[in-house]
Amino acid sequence: MSTSVEQVSRLLALVPYLQAHPDADLAETAAAFGVTPRRLLADLEVLWFVGLPGGLPGDLIDIDMDAVQSHGRIRLTNAEYLSRPMRFTIDEVTSLIVALRAVREVAGGEAGDAVDSALAKLSTVAGAQESRRVEFAVATSEGGVRDRLAAAIADGAAVRLTYDGLTRAETTRPVVEPHRLTVRDGFVYLEAWSRDRSDWRTFRLDRVTAVDDADGGVADHGEPPPFDAGWLEVRAEAALVSITVTDHARWIAEYYPVRSITAARGGWRIELLVADPAWLRALLLRLGPDVLAVDPPTAADSARAAASEALGLYQALPTE
Amino acid sequence: MAPRKSERIMNLAICLLLARRFLDKNHLREVVEGYGGLSDAAFERTFERDKDDLRAMGVPVEAGSNSTLFPDEIGYRIRRQDFELPPIDFTAAEATALGLASQVWGTATLAEHTVSALAKLRAAGVDPDASRLSGLSPSIGAKEAAFEPLWQATMTRTVVAFGYRGLPREVEPWILTYRRGSWYLLGLDRTRQAPRMFKVARLEGEPRPVGRPGAYELPDVDLAQLTRSLEPAPADTSAVVAVRGDQAPDLRRRGERVDRPDGLPSGFSAWRVPYRQEGDFVAELCGYGAAVLVLEPLELRRQVIERLTTIAGGGR
Repeated sequence: MSTSVEQVSRLLALVPYLQAHPDADLAETAAAFGVTPRRLLADLEVLWFVGLPGGLPGDLIDIDMDAVQSHGRIRLTNAEYLSRPMRFTIDEVTSLIVALRAVREVAGGEAGDAVDSALAKLSTVAGAQESRRVEFAVATSEGGVRDRLAAAIADGAAVRLTYDGLTRAETTRPVVEPHRLTVRDGFVYLEAWSRDRSDWRTFRLDRVTAVDDADGGVADHGEPPPFDAGWLEVRAEAALVSITVTDHARWIAEYYPVRSITAARGGWRIELLVADPAWLRALLLRLGPDVLAVDPPTAADSARAAASEALGLYQALPTE
Repeated sequence: MAPRKSERIMNLAICLLLARRFLDKNHLREVVEGYGGLSDAAFERTFERDKDDLRAMGVPVEAGSNSTLFPDEIGYRIRRQDFELPPIDFTAAEATALGLASQVWGTATLAEHTVSALAKLRAAGVDPDASRLSGLSPSIGAKEAAFEPLWQATMTRTVVAFGYRGLPREVEPWILTYRRGSWYLLGLDRTRQAPRMFKVARLEGEPRPVGRPGAYELPDVDLAQLTRSLEPAPADTSAVVAVRGDQAPDLRRRGERVDRPDGLPSGFSAWRVPYRQEGDFVAELCGYGAAVLVLEPLELRRQVIERLTTIAGGGR
């Protein structure tokens, strides 16, 4: 888009905004429009020359430039004919509707109802054709689990989760202090302080099968480590392992956070940060003959041992 | 110069918005600041470009004639009811949700679209404020390089060309859908004349627009159902497996407990689990190592043992 198209789009919203917010703050207004104060000043200088056809002095939009320059306040008048913003573009309304659906995934109770009604109102100004062009679905938990956790966060209460663990493939019942619900990469997560581990942990909501009351409230443990950094990166004990796989197993680079992927003899060499040896063991067992090499080679020892143990158990099974 | 151009387009927009009838070009040339002093050819060019720019930003510039006798005398106007955001009113709780929504997108272009949508709502007197929902932090990422060009094409109904599985495709993009952390494009594959689902991460090269926007209509079918039908087929058979203790929850939650006490190693319970024969169930079972044993069918057990033998032997 050209700069003028961007600028005029903004000006068409800025004029009604400044009439709805008399004596608006320059920095606050710039933030609302996602631009720098310098860019906003340039916008105001354009508006200085805009107005009714004919271009006589009384026809132009009036801005008190002294107030802008001296105290960063914006007073705009003489633009009553432009007192409402333009309709949403399809990009605007679609991106907002999809974002609200993501909010819906984490908002429980009354907040969830408010998201539903906001979505319904937006859909009436968008039209059904427009709002269905992008769909957003995350792996859902039962609504009851999310609502229970949202309530626990609001009340500052500890809970006992029944959790079908992912990396260890085991059901556990940790007592946690819930902190925040987050949507990341198609899943809803609970960020919580784990009392068993005395550390921050994330739990995928679709794997929480029950939430029960636990004793005690929530203590101040500071802020959890940033989620975006990748949960593997934040653990000091994570080890760098590289595995070479056939083309058939290239999908792992799309499913797990990988350090690098490069073409190698027979397939792909993928570098992974491994925080939990049990996770790597399960991955190697799953990929089986599609794994061509592991470096360091000892990283594959526990997968080999698990396979041998399984074979021993099979030998002891009755063959019917 | 850009500021002059922005001034001129704003003045044109205001003039057309206030017009009670269609205004012809000659009239606009006289009254709109910025058109004076241009030669005939320069005015024609500038006016056409300004009109296109207004339409590109979504301003409904209407062309028509005031006269039924002389319908060739074309003029322009903007109808206020087509231009203005219709009355829309949000409760405080709804406005809070909208404020949080503006922080969701993790890609720059989409984040800009939500910010400008929120700016319009603020201009209409709504006050979105997310600070009340501090325990929530949803986010949508789109790391796929092809995502933004596909979004653009889907919004404008523009055909796109890209490579997929080694073949060149021409696709009418219908719907972008996000599930389990990945974006998919559902559309009509013109090459095959059939609806297809494409994983956006697997597109080969940047998708290129083909032809003009608005080139097709979205079909009148149940797109949600079509999306589901293009997903992997459901299970067609079942196996009985032994699971150690609380392990392998994914298998247990898909299956049901069965009574099978004879000869199980201690600490194991038996479960009947549905699966799809053509899928990668053997690989999944091997992933559990010594925590899961196949009891039946025996052919499945044989395949698992064969694969485990390769792994245990090192074979590399």
